[in-house]
Amino acid sequence: MTTTLAPYLAFARIAFLQILAYRLRYFTGIITYLVNVTVYYFIWKAIYRGDTVIQGFNFPQMITYVAVGWIIRTFYYNNVDREIANDIQQGHIAGKLTRPVSYQWMQISQAAGESLFRLMMFTVPTGAVILLIYPVQAPRSVSSSGAFLISLLFAFVIFAAINFLIGICAVYLQSVLGLIRAKYFLIELLSGLVIPINFFPDSLVRWSQWLPFQHISYMPLMIYMGKVGGKELASVLLVECAWALALLLAGKWFWHVARLKLIVQGG
Amino acid sequence: MRHLSILIHYFSQYLKARLEYKGDLLIAVFTSFSATVASFGFLYILFHRVSSLQGWKFEELIFIYGFSLTCLGFFNVLSLNLYEFGERYIMEGRFDQVLLRPLHSLFQILFEAFRIESLQEVLTGLVALGYAGWKLRLQPTVIEVFLFPLMVVCGVVIYLSIFIILTSVSFWFEDRIGIIPPVYNMIPFGRYPTTIYNVFLQFLLSWIIPFAFASFYPTTLFLDRREFQPYFYLVPLVAAVSGTMALLVWNRGVKSYQSTGN
Repeated sequence: MTTTLAPYLAFARIAFLQILAYRLRYFTGIITYLVNVTVYYFIWKAIYRGDTVIQGFNFPQMITYVAVGWIIRTFYYNNVDREIANDIQQGHIAGKLTRPVSYQWMQISQAAGESLFRLMMFTVPTGAVILLIYPVQAPRSVSSSGAFLISLLFAFVIFAAINFLIGICAVYLQSVLGLIRAKYFLIELLSGLVIPINFFPDSLVRWSQWLPFQHISYMPLMIYMGKVGGKELASVLLVECAWALALLLAGKWFWHVARLKLIVQGG
Repeated sequence: MRHLSILIHYFSQYLKARLEYKGDLLIAVFTSFSATVASFGFLYILFHRVSSLQGWKFEELIFIYGFSLTCLGFFNVLSLNLYEFGERYIMEGRFDQVLLRPLHSLFQILFEAFRIESLQEVLTGLVALGYAGWKLRLQPTVIEVFLFPLMVVCGVVIYLSIFIILTSVSFWFEDRIGIIPPVYNMIPFGRYPTTIYNVFLQFLLSWIIPFAFASFYPTTLFLDRREFQPYFYLVPLVAAVSGTMALLVWNRGVKSYQSTGN
């Protein structure tokens, strides 16, 4: 077990160290996330009057939803899609394929290294700044915070697995950057980051229950706020786990098919 | 005149190259359109549950959105090389080539490559403007009809200037800070009436990174919001000042450019 895991731990460690070289980026990142939260704060403030409740959210709850949503994004986010697309288009992939490791797990463990870095150098300071400025409510209970942390892990895996799938599309597409950009905006919306899923029109809510995206942001946040609990909580966590596995398997299969079509020009 | 004909040549050459891969261009247009639809999703969903944003109706916000998208579309068509400038031109030393040609370097950088699929945004923006204008029963005066294209040009100039200044940073520093994407992601925030924000954000979006002058303020005359009239008439001035600043910073950067060899 340790020998099979060892190379992947090394990939995670190297990713961690590589990002250390770009740590300056995270300073601007903190400001960006703060600005994001601030803008949505004012948009919601312009909407809420007194003690209005919209779709089960009062104003303090909405601010908590927005703030925690952006804070956790600092953790689960990664650029695996871009890196894979780069590997494929620049031809670096040729060298990486000669390694006796799974390309998918290499990318996922690099993403894990990246997320660990982000957790320490990005999530903590961003969270501290946002919590100082905005009135963010604590998790509903001890059990909801525990479940929240578990759902965050699933959010990370689901996000990374989707990025892996998108990155592989570079085998077939010349301009994969457009696809990456579209995915970026679609996930911002469909994950519930910019607006809670239950604000969606009913038909879209029903659709979204059959999609993995709501498990990236909306569900972890609903768990955090105690809006999902009890029996429902267990089933939500199970569905998240199932999505994580399904998307990893889909990635494995897609890579298996796509590598046969891979044409490397130089490298 | 010479510049115009060179521009047309640049564009037709690039178009020919892109049309070699028709399927790919089609997918690029489709994904670009999906991104546009998703970025519009927030407003649509929000107004599914609420009826107004501090007295602003859905259609008014769509009008602002459409205007901003039209300008942004033109900007996106032209800005392709700005994003890759640090890496492609400075680090790889390609800028030497540019300097050897008897044409202003910025002109070459902007017009050597185009994000053609972003013309979709221009079209979508105009459709959104048309829809909102029709729903709001706007009756533009003759002067407004003439002012509209001028405002679009100003918006494009403002977007370009901001990002030219940010790109110029790579003449002095390797872009380790990655300042462009976070600023780019702030563009949508200029699409809301500035009055919903606090003084700090209003100041930031108007005078530091003047996105509001490329999206919100230019629409206020057409939307009959008289209280913003001074800002509306300042739009051309802001465009002229930021354009001049961008050109000055760029030229300064070119002067201190040191080739990495090629």
